[in-house]
Amino acid sequence: MAKSGADWNATPKFPATHYVDSRIYTDQAIFEEEKEKLFKPSWIIACHESEIANAFDYRLFAHPSGVPLIIVRGDDQKVRSFYNICPHRGNTILYDPAGNARRMTCIFHAWSYDTRGNCIEISRAEQGYQDRFRKEDASLREVRTEVGFGGFIWVNLDDAASPLKDYIGPSMDILAPYMVEPMEVFHFNRAIVNTNYKLWHDTNSEFYHDFVHYFNRITGMMQPGYFDRRYTAFPNGHASVGSMSIQYDKYEGSKERAVGWPGLTPGGWYMVDLFPGLTYNLRTSVLRIDTAIPLGPNQVAIEFRGLGLKSDTPAQRAQRVFDHNTIWGPFGRNLHEDLLAVHGQGRAMREGTDSRWVIHGREEGSTIHDEIGMRHFYAEWSRRMGRAAHDPFRGNRPAPERAAA
Amino acid sequence: MEQRAQIEELVYRSCMALDERDFKGFLELCDPGFRYKVTVYSPEIRKEMVWLDQDRRGMETLFTNLPRHNSDHSPLVRHATVYTVKMNGGEAEVISALQVFRTALDGGATELFGVARLIDTVKLDGGTPRLASRVVRMETRQLGFGSHVPF
Repeated sequence: MAKSGADWNATPKFPATHYVDSRIYTDQAIFEEEKEKLFKPSWIIACHESEIANAFDYRLFAHPSGVPLIIVRGDDQKVRSFYNICPHRGNTILYDPAGNARRMTCIFHAWSYDTRGNCIEISRAEQGYQDRFRKEDASLREVRTEVGFGGFIWVNLDDAASPLKDYIGPSMDILAPYMVEPMEVFHFNRAIVNTNYKLWHDTNSEFYHDFVHYFNRITGMMQPGYFDRRYTAFPNGHASVGSMSIQYDKYEGSKERAVGWPGLTPGGWYMVDLFPGLTYNLRTSVLRIDTAIPLGPNQVAIEFRGLGLKSDTPAQRAQRVFDHNTIWGPFGRNLHEDLLAVHGQGRAMREGTDSRWVIHGREEGSTIHDEIGMRHFYAEWSRRMGRAAHDPFRGNRPAPERAAA
Repeated sequence: MEQRAQIEELVYRSCMALDERDFKGFLELCDPGFRYKVTVYSPEIRKEMVWLDQDRRGMETLFTNLPRHNSDHSPLVRHATVYTVKMNGGEAEVISALQVFRTALDGGATELFGVARLIDTVKLDGGTPRLASRVVRMETRQLGFGSHVPF
């Protein structure tokens, strides 16, 4: 029997840890709070070291909190990050998304900076500022930066944040044996989808949605070992997923992946989801990295990277690119399905639709269709936000109006 | 000029076939040695990228598998303009501008989905020109939730 309005609004018959109030995906105040409490103090992947291989190479990154960053390799080979904001009149310093800049010069009034964040020239300084303001007063705002876990460049806007190693903890141990050889980015694209960033991370945190993927059903779900894959939860909201042997040849037109990955069992597939919106996805021959950059309560930019080994021969690289494109490229089989699915969630959950609850109730001994990955994420979300994900407006917080049932 | 008209018509027919999801019809316009590629330059990573690379058999399989997948069903309409046709013996290199529009099923709003160039090699040695290869050189890199149907 279909539900009445009262039934629809009634609390789900699950423990409070097993569902969330869908307003956490739509509420503007919660979104603003997330940027402050979740993204600003978290370590976030800005790019990979191969994207700025040489001295003075730089890469721009739109930090999920909204801050525009420059990631630059210095003359001393050290990677540093700065606000891409000129301290003079607040202009953008670098415009192109990547390049090589011995001097970073703001085009507006020609103030220049070096790769260590020092202001090295103020145009007509003496005439205008006499001795009241000097280059030393005009340095760039530096942001904490570390390189690690496969050569990725991580940034943290919180000057007092604990080191990256502490933030990640043991969550990346499962991938550590495969992050030894230097890697190289061969693919980058950004998808903007009208959905909440958490819904994308949810999709990466559960495999029950393999029902949307014909490719995964044929090569994975219907094959031995699939239901043995296990989730492991780690401190700080991170989680990993164990491997199986994907039977690629079961999909028409596909075949066993010839290139593989050093140390990884043929057909192997590991995933690590890092709070609040990063995913490592090592699938047989390619490492994919997702970086979720929320743009609003119902809009997210997802940056996708595909990586191979720096030592690849042209033939090996071509095979990795082919493997990547088959399922993960912009015209690949799986990516479109995942993006379409979260687009559908955004459509059904946007403000005013009277979407009420999202259920994370599956318990299957932490195996592949268990929804423990999401439950673990929302436990951390609740802790950091000081709001229960299942009841985010409890207490004195004003609850937004609901549409009539 | 008659040959140029035939070549232009081949490009336009290929677009119409894909618009109508007449994949069999599209492949009938292609040579047995047909190769299809989608390429794009990324200013972000400063690299050339390949987003799709299939031979004729690969394209057949891709088209066969499409109905088994969950896809957005919004129609895509390709608008091509043939810019140049350069004859080279039994082949011609044809460069066309391409815009792809997507129309939402619900409500019918049309949006520009992608901009690209088609770089086609056309075989002329038979009675009817055939596509020997197509490189879709993308300018657009942000495709929202994307598409299973190539441009």
